[in-house]
Amino acid sequence: MRRRAFGRDRGLSTRLFLTMFLLGALYVVFFVVMVNVFQFGIVPMVILLGALAFFQYYTSDRIALAAAGAKVVRPDEAPELHAMVDRLCAMSDLPKPRVAIIPTDVPNAFATGRSPKHSAVAVTRGLWNRLEPREVEGVLAHELSHIANRDVAVMTIASFFSMLAAFLMRMGMWTGMMGGGRNRDSGGAPAILIMIAVSLVTYVLSYMLILLISRYREFAADRGAAVITGAPENLMSALQKIASDMTRIPQRDLRELEGMNAFFIIPTNVKRHAAELFMTHPPLEKRLARLAQIAAEMGRPIAA
Amino acid sequence: MGLGDVLFGRKKLKGAKLDRLFALSTAQVTLEAELGLRPAGAAGVVFKSLSAGEFMRAEQEIDELLGVVAETSGSEVRRRQDSLGYQWLVVRDRDFEDLVTGVHLVAGELVAHGFGEQLLAAIFAFERRDGERPTYLIYGFKRGAFWPFVPTGERQERDNAEELRLKNELQGELPIEEDLSRWLGLFDAPLD
Repeated sequence: MRRRAFGRDRGLSTRLFLTMFLLGALYVVFFVVMVNVFQFGIVPMVILLGALAFFQYYTSDRIALAAAGAKVVRPDEAPELHAMVDRLCAMSDLPKPRVAIIPTDVPNAFATGRSPKHSAVAVTRGLWNRLEPREVEGVLAHELSHIANRDVAVMTIASFFSMLAAFLMRMGMWTGMMGGGRNRDSGGAPAILIMIAVSLVTYVLSYMLILLISRYREFAADRGAAVITGAPENLMSALQKIASDMTRIPQRDLRELEGMNAFFIIPTNVKRHAAELFMTHPPLEKRLARLAQIAAEMGRPIAA
Repeated sequence: MGLGDVLFGRKKLKGAKLDRLFALSTAQVTLEAELGLRPAGAAGVVFKSLSAGEFMRAEQEIDELLGVVAETSGSEVRRRQDSLGYQWLVVRDRDFEDLVTGVHLVAGELVAHGFGEQLLAAIFAFERRDGERPTYLIYGFKRGAFWPFVPTGERQERDNAEELRLKNELQGELPIEEDLSRWLGLFDAPLD
């Protein structure tokens, strides 16, 4: 690897910081626009939300690759990795995604893209270096399952409803604040309070449901990987290696990657500071237990 | 996959399509007379090796299967493994029609033993009359179609111009895979 003058890690954190900043800016702009558009009623805003979600969906592959600092590699730059992806795609009857490498030592991988035809799979250099080829294959099969299951589309749609709920909540609050200054009948205020409460609960619940869907999709992708490779134990050992490496690496480096959590095969904040309900990925033990169960199912002789 | 499978994330593997393999025996005349591609007498069926638990059973069944194929077709069948951990059953027969039949038989037996979903591809080797680089035709079991494969011999490079020329020439003779991104290459196929 060529070393950049300012160092590898700083390059990555700069890119991630910039992406987060732009994303934050996008939401600030969005909020301002939302307030201005408010007078036109709910329909334009729902359309606006839809457009934003669509934009996110449409550019998901480029945004995610750029945010992670992943570089798309040609077959002659990474022949072994390409050969592995080629065969797994042929096996699962998927068009070949773009293949990218992230120049970090944290072993991890992610897949992105709105449809199998516009997808990309990225692995870190650490994943390639630290894991056995068959373990890398298990991880790649997991990511290809995400692509086959169209998880970016599923999660975008799911987040759209969460965004809608969040928006309704904010609208409820806004109406509540404005309502005080206007002349309205006495029955108005409790109705608004109820509306705020309902939207708040909706928002929290939808957020938890998204995380639940995310965890479910992880189990599904694990199962997919077992089906594609025919060897769940390879993914099991890969997950264990990734998890143990992740806890060893200093926390500072890991925090820089946190924005990408939903996409990574194992989230970087492995410390159990959050309850399971608020995690994007199921805990390692549960994933391993399910994979062991799948292995047992596969070990059963096929009925003649 | 259907909508339900996408919604519930149920990834399934496609089964193998075998019937279109025989188109190759019919195309032999064109291959040899018009394109100068002489069968090299070797072909391989590549499939994904299985989970450790499954492996003992598979090992025994594949050996039995090799015996059956050798008995029925008279072709020579050998087992190989490649650097990516895939299993190969290599069929050798000087007669091209027997070779295609042998490959079909091997694949059919694998399907009958429940390995159909693990079947990846069959590869047939050809020699050029001018003794130039070896040329292959690959049959994708998931796609039920053929595509040409001409490695240049340098790392993982392939002669795309020549492959596209062969595609045009073979269009009427063989079911050709139209989606070029599905043209899987099988470098270092252990056919000897």
